Amino acid sequence: MKTDTKLYSLKDAVREVKSGSHITLGGFAHSLAPLAFVREMIRQDISDLEVTAMGEAWAVDMLSGAKALKKVRMSNFMFEGWGRCRNFSRAVEEGEIEVEDYSHFGITNRMFAGSMGIPFIPVKTMSGSDIYHERSFEKNNKFVDYTCPFTEEKVLLVPKVEPDVAIIHASRADVNGNVQLYGISSTLEVAAKSAKKVIVTVEEIVEEEIIRKQPELTILPSFLVDAVIHLPYGAHPAGMYKYYDYDSDHINLYIESTRTNEKFKEYMEEYIKGTENEIEYLEKIGLKQLLSLKADPYYGYSLHNRGEVLQ
Amino acid sequence: MKQSVNNVITADEMMVFAASQLFKDGDVALVGTGLPMIAAYAAKQTHAPNAVLVFESGIMDAKASHMASGVGDFPLVHGAVKTSSLFDSLSLLQKGTINLGFLGAAEIDAYGNINSTVIGDYQTPKVRLPGSGGANDIASMAERTVILVKHQKRKFVEKLNYLTTPGYIDGAGSREKYGLPGQGPEKVITDLGVFYFDAATKRMSIESLHPQVSLEKVIEETGFEFQHIPEEIPVTEMPKPELLQTIRDLDPDKIYINK
Repeated sequence: MKTDTKLYSLKDAVREVKSGSHITLGGFAHSLAPLAFVREMIRQDISDLEVTAMGEAWAVDMLSGAKALKKVRMSNFMFEGWGRCRNFSRAVEEGEIEVEDYSHFGITNRMFAGSMGIPFIPVKTMSGSDIYHERSFEKNNKFVDYTCPFTEEKVLLVPKVEPDVAIIHASRADVNGNVQLYGISSTLEVAAKSAKKVIVTVEEIVEEEIIRKQPELTILPSFLVDAVIHLPYGAHPAGMYKYYDYDSDHINLYIESTRTNEKFKEYMEEYIKGTENEIEYLEKIGLKQLLSLKADPYYGYSLHNRGEVLQ
Repeated sequence: MKQSVNNVITADEMMVFAASQLFKDGDVALVGTGLPMIAAYAAKQTHAPNAVLVFESGIMDAKASHMASGVGDFPLVHGAVKTSSLFDSLSLLQKGTINLGFLGAAEIDAYGNINSTVIGDYQTPKVRLPGSGGANDIASMAERTVILVKHQKRKFVEKLNYLTTPGYIDGAGSREKYGLPGQGPEKVITDLGVFYFDAATKRMSIESLHPQVSLEKVIEETGFEFQHIPEEIPVTEMPKPELLQTIRDLDPDKIYINK
């Protein structure tokens, strides 16, 4: 329900993402992944999505397994330390998802151009490779070869991209939507600024005064944010620096479930569609497990998860 | 050399050592996790204390207390001098500030081109692989690049399924034609030897083979012909025992080497 703040319930915020829309998501390897939001998208059967993403493996693999994706602009999806994203790979191999490949810098520059309000930007990467030669749905709009009118350097022009919605998971925010982040920001900032609408899920809701005490942590001021949702453990089974580590046990279980469509359907029935909301999901993960992931206040990650502390 | 179990160097350790020797003091390197990261830390602890490690996730000059499982992993964040964005890290690569990069490969050809995108046709792939990530950016833009790869016939191929990451593309002059700012791959380091690219043809050639590795074995595991094979093939230099110990101490739980 909408209030005079930007605070939304998860269910209401997810309803703002329509089937068929073009989205971008946060996430870098096993951190920053907006997975509580993605699970609710799957519960609400949002589908036919177009995604522009750099390396947001978790969100893309879950949505692929839920058969929610149609078109993807990407650079790299991999579960670091575990291997390929099997749901995504299988969906591509079975012809369900159309893919347009870029490099990390290439796709990020498309979002950067969108975030700056310019129609295109020159880059010095990707030329001469099959990323350049093989064109999928972007066809002639993928790249233009260009010679710099000032220096005569050869460059590639890439057009801006402006997704309908950016879905980001961050550390904390106030109810007005001032969003703060600890640690690396990956592509969160350019992704959010390129999008027409920005939805942010956070570990903590804090007073505006707390935000104003450390403005250097702010990644998005409220005027760039449309909705904020309070979702502790909202990145699980990925982690959040200074909050909790990634959950190796659950990642093992997830990866195992992605070996076939049938097995992933069982995973979805148990952990996503079979749970009414995120509290029920976290209850399934269990208190003991969640506590073992809790970040050490000095290091910012769980020493238990790094094999240091026995329980 | 004493042949006690502890002094027998493994293929992983040879790769790490050979890679570490390519760091120059003061290099600003974009590294991934795994063997290149261990090599970078070994170089920093020995001949290149001023080398700086940047990770594409936005982590700069990391000083990890625990082994990281990936380039965005929290032990790299804690203790770094700056945490920033992927866009920031890769902009430094385009600018030329980051001058050294390391690459892995699912498939590599004689010109050092790499495939990490698909097996089969691009539009209807038999196997969809993870995709470029920062690899194409490193290979296109870093002044110097080094490729670390396991030497297997299915990886060392005459023709790639898809050219994700440029080496010398079609040979001499190709990189210039496409305007790629980096110099192209300097070395390929495998578990069998060290390889370079012939100046005239830009095709892969043998520089040295690791101890106990035969030429027959290398040819058997390579799906293309080397441009140049020295008549007397040098044996790859081995690390001194202290350095070998340093390398082992960097990964005591054998997460990346000797796993």
